[in-house]
Amino acid sequence: MIKVQELTKIFRKPIRGKGLIGMISTLFSRKYTEIRAVDGVSFDIPEGEIVGYIGSNGAGKSTTIKMMCGILTPTSGKVFIGDKEPYLKRRVVAKDIGVVFGQKSQLWWDIPLVESFKVLKEIYQVSDEDYEERMSFLSSVLGIDEFMTQPVRTLSLGQRMRADLAASMLHNPKILFLDEPTIGMDVLVKEKIRTAIHALNAKYHTTIVLTTHDMADIENLCSRIIMIEKGKIIYDGPLRDIKRRFGNIKTLTLTVPPSVDPEKVKPFSDDVAMVLDKDNKDKVVLKFDADKVVLEHVVQYAFSQYQAIDMKIADISIEDVVKQILSQQEEEHEKAKKI
Amino acid sequence: MRRLRKYKPFARASAIDMMAYRFNILTWAIVTVAEVACLVFLWLAVYQSSEGGINSSINGFTYKEMISYVVLTTIFGFVTFNDDTMWYINRDIRQGTIGNFLIKPISYRGKFIASNIGAFSMMSLVFGIPLYAAGLGTLIGIGFLPVPSVWDFIAHFGLFLIASVLACLLNGAISYLFGILCFYTTAAWGLNSLKTTVISFLSGTLLPIAFFPNVFREIVSYMPFAGMSQNPVLILMMKYSYLECAKVLLISFAWLILLELLGKLLFNHAIKLVTVQGG
Repeated sequence: MIKVQELTKIFRKPIRGKGLIGMISTLFSRKYTEIRAVDGVSFDIPEGEIVGYIGSNGAGKSTTIKMMCGILTPTSGKVFIGDKEPYLKRRVVAKDIGVVFGQKSQLWWDIPLVESFKVLKEIYQVSDEDYEERMSFLSSVLGIDEFMTQPVRTLSLGQRMRADLAASMLHNPKILFLDEPTIGMDVLVKEKIRTAIHALNAKYHTTIVLTTHDMADIENLCSRIIMIEKGKIIYDGPLRDIKRRFGNIKTLTLTVPPSVDPEKVKPFSDDVAMVLDKDNKDKVVLKFDADKVVLEHVVQYAFSQYQAIDMKIADISIEDVVKQILSQQEEEHEKAKKI
Repeated sequence: MRRLRKYKPFARASAIDMMAYRFNILTWAIVTVAEVACLVFLWLAVYQSSEGGINSSINGFTYKEMISYVVLTTIFGFVTFNDDTMWYINRDIRQGTIGNFLIKPISYRGKFIASNIGAFSMMSLVFGIPLYAAGLGTLIGIGFLPVPSVWDFIAHFGLFLIASVLACLLNGAISYLFGILCFYTTAAWGLNSLKTTVISFLSGTLLPIAFFPNVFREIVSYMPFAGMSQNPVLILMMKYSYLECAKVLLISFAWLILLELLGKLLFNHAIKLVTVQGG
């Protein structure tokens, strides 16, 4: 369905001098820095798959997505949607794809939501029957009926996101690109959006590519993840492989009273790593593999030994996973050098 | 035909927009009336102090024709030039909203043409009909605009309508070209001033092209600008024979095609430069 071959995007940015003299001098001579936002990326995505495209901020995720939907033209390399290149056959490919950018709405700001849908119906030339059928399905999974007649600017972030998702599915695209669909939402709304994405994929067999910073999104939605860092793919495979590599890592952040010196507390075991924050003396972070250590024991231990006042349990963040993969790759590299 | 239907919402939206700004338009209309009055007195003064006196003809225009020209050009500009293509393109580039259009199965240019036609239709209906009726009625009534034969007038009016549509599209095409230049430079304000000045000077809005020096006049009459204001108005005033009408309409049409092709080429190049923020 999607084929990406050696995709590269280089942005040229003029170097601006500092101050007034610098500004004037850039008027006459321009020097550019080249930024390889995406650097030789290749992958294939078969029909009906939900793929998580992840990486830290500025890793090149959105740039890749924008090339896949035809907004940006690659510097080199190719993208095929079906058998067409989106940046060359923009209008043809546009019928087959739906795009949602979490940070930007593509709905008309001042008109009621239902009018936006009607405009999209005309633009994509959706027939009346198809429109009715999809609208009833989309409003049942996304619950958009309640704010159908409100102008988009009056919607909350979660409502707007659901509306945007419905708008992108109106023409039943074969591929749906979701760029951070759950950004800035609360847990309940996130859950609703995930359920909806699942339902869309199940009903229309839509291929979905989503970028996210939320580990829970990936765990709930994606069978496969592609991880990108500094424009290069560092991992492409099933989620469970990553889990097997790193284990089910969780972090427990404690707030300890001033009477306790964390450095003097006896460590729980070798499986639990303790990280101290130099600036916040009252914070202690415990990192452990929840498959090896029982969470309940660590929590009990935290209360009894550290006399914790407050605690927060979190899954490992994508940034941590990226860091670990990079350091692992470096180690392997070093080893390979030695041999 | 089916393919054109998807542009309907854009035409409708800009028509509605036009009406949303009706109070702006009204205040603008009041200012314009004052301007026209100034111009009328200016031309009267010019003719009175000319060698042959008030009834002389300067560059083929009598003072009656000159005043008719000023009034009709103003109405024409008011009804026909409601284009903000360039500002929209500039906004789309700066805010990155151009991406929203690039992912839809519509042509970016087509969207603007639809908007132009929508705004033009609405302005013609709401302001065009009463303004032309009042303007032409008065000018004919006081004998400034002689009508030798009613059929001639109707035929010229029909040609004038065609010329109006061409003028509206030409204006949109030039605005689009200037808009695409915003991909290369972000100096939209400067570009817009340049565009406005060039158009108002070379289209004969400020002064009929007949007043320009010889060679320059010849060149300007073959440029696209004359078709954007002077030619439609002179057709309406029946200053052109049918042959001349056909000639100026043909020139406008040829320019329209040429400018659209140029716009397409430029867009295809510029689109490769798009860098959408936040990527």
